[in-house]
Amino acid sequence: MAAKIPEVTQISESDLVRLTQEARQEATPTFGKIIWREFKNNRLALTSLVLVITFILFVIIAALFINTPKMMTTNIMDYYSKPFNKNFILGADSGGRSIAKQLIVGSRNSICIAIGLTVISSTWGICWGMISGYFGGKVDLVMQRVYDFMMILPMLMTIIVIVTIIPTYNSVTLTLILSVFYWMGTSRLIRSRVLAESQKDYVAASKTSGTSNWKIIFREIMPNISSLIIVDTTLSFAENIGVETGLSYLGFGLPLGTPSLGTLIANANDPENITTYWWTWLPAALEIIILCLAISYIGQAFRHATNASQQ
Amino acid sequence: MSLLEVRNLKVHYPIRGGFWNRIVDVVKAVDGINFSIEQGQTYGLVGESGSGKSTTGKTIVGLERPTSGQIFYQGQEVQQNKLRNSVDYQRNVQMIFQDSLSSLNPQKRILDIIAEPLRNFQNLTADQEKLRVLQLLDIVGLSADSLYKYPRQFSGGQRQRIGIARAVATNPKLIIADEPVSALDLSVQAQILNFMKKIQRELNISYLFISHDLGVVRHMCQQIAIMHRGRLVEVGTRDDIYNHPQHIYTKRLLAAIPETNVNSRQEHRQKRLEVERIYNEQQAKYYDSNGAAFALQPVSMTHFVALAPTD
Ligand SMILES: Nc1ncnc2c1ncn2[C@@H]1O[C@H](COP(=O)(O)OP(=O)(O)OP(=O)(O)O)[C@@H](O)[C@H]1O
Ligand SMILES: [Mg+2]
Repeated sequence: MAAKIPEVTQISESDLVRLTQEARQEATPTFGKIIWREFKNNRLALTSLVLVITFILFVIIAALFINTPKMMTTNIMDYYSKPFNKNFILGADSGGRSIAKQLIVGSRNSICIAIGLTVISSTWGICWGMISGYFGGKVDLVMQRVYDFMMILPMLMTIIVIVTIIPTYNSVTLTLILSVFYWMGTSRLIRSRVLAESQKDYVAASKTSGTSNWKIIFREIMPNISSLIIVDTTLSFAENIGVETGLSYLGFGLPLGTPSLGTLIANANDPENITTYWWTWLPAALEIIILCLAISYIGQAFRHATNASQQ
Repeated sequence: MSLLEVRNLKVHYPIRGGFWNRIVDVVKAVDGINFSIEQGQTYGLVGESGSGKSTTGKTIVGLERPTSGQIFYQGQEVQQNKLRNSVDYQRNVQMIFQDSLSSLNPQKRILDIIAEPLRNFQNLTADQEKLRVLQLLDIVGLSADSLYKYPRQFSGGQRQRIGIARAVATNPKLIIADEPVSALDLSVQAQILNFMKKIQRELNISYLFISHDLGVVRHMCQQIAIMHRGRLVEVGTRDDIYNHPQHIYTKRLLAAIPETNVNSRQEHRQKRLEVERIYNEQQAKYYDSNGAAFALQPVSMTHFVALAPTD
């Protein structure tokens, strides 16, 4: 085929290599580089990033060395042990259980559920929104009716009912149950962007170039909404930490005996704990606030970087 | 046998509304048009904004579905549902888009943009592909260091060249050029047009040249069709249209070409006002009660005009 074109160019193999190298040197900074530059110039975001990553790694690794059933056994001798002593850095609760260890295992549980929930619900929401927005017409109509149905369900009540009905469940099933209810926001956001994006001529050009619909959705359109996806995913991660925590706080999250940030904060339900035994709930509350703040700073830095890369 | 023949093509868009999202009306974007394009020829399609030119072009390449009518490619009917799947047709009929910026994916490098049709229609190795893209860049007069740049780093004229390079990449027989120069300034317009003529001679390509500007079309097209409100109002050779216009709409378009000769400006203005007056007064002579143009009547062997049937 290539031979059919009159040889207006005399580019040899060696020229090709040279030109490729030249072009590569002049290439524009990639998205990764722009993000890196953004973080280098934004101290707050960089600190947040380091903090969040080291914290997540720390709790995941440290939790491996803690024997949870043993930690959760009641030990009446240490009833409300005060913090900063040599056995209990952060004190103990009414069952004489170490708050520090519960905090580590609880953070691990809560964060892993939040990560799982974010991965599943965002992937689902992104795919749902992109397919719905790209194909439009009848496909969109049906998919949006499903969306509407999910939206009118009273989410919290339905989750509580399901959790109560299911006899045995653990963090994996809880993550799956939650995922069913937390993809709609993402899907709506993505759909509206893809709807606009599909009207652009580059999509039409890809069609006339013979690219299949699926490739157009995931290879052509998706990179153009990647900024939206990254920012939305980061922020929904912060939000999802709250989802499981809130549910456990209400007593419908993880089963009894499984510590989580929510169960620790639930210690504050007891008025006496709020004032006298503050160490039972305050560290977990502070941790959630700091974690969510840090994640949203990271999200903002991402947003800033992606806006910059589109100029 | 002509390369492409369009028979009684109609594209109607439903307007939905009301409680049940019913079809309340239709926009007749294209309303029964016939024309045929010969091998190596440039066929001009001219009309004001909204007359249905882009819709005609998009329907031919398979981006829009015709409501009715047929398209024949080298004498064979192009089946609408198979249009996008027929590799041969897809490879041989390409499109240059009206808006050069929107037609290039902002997240892709020029190499990937131009190579897209090559990857779908031809099996080339990475090196062959790069060589071919470099050849194409050379043909359209862009330097090799464009390879790894992004579309936003180019000027409007350069971007339109990239669009052209992509369109000619697979050696198509017909290119739908949808106002390829409308967004460019005059000097760049001339450059691009000459260059389109050059590759036409070299590669024996046919163009369907869409424009709203009769001044530009004069340089490019042997055959011209004038379109208004979804119908053709006058069809003929360049001589027929420019020297013997019959339909008032054609005369109006001709009068709208800016006069470059300073001395005859006043005269030109008089003529334009006169045409405008006749256009407003004689609607009934040229358009039916719905405001649609009549069917085409032969005036000579090559010249057809939409006039009221004289029975
Ligand atoms: N997807 C669509 N849905 C509904 N109406 C449409 C759609 N696409 C085009 N139209 C209508 O069809 C008519 C013709 O549009 P088209 O884009 O073909 O015009 P055009 O001649 O290319 O104009 P321009 O010179 O501005 O590009 C317009 O009135 C437009 O509003
Ligand atoms: Mg148009």
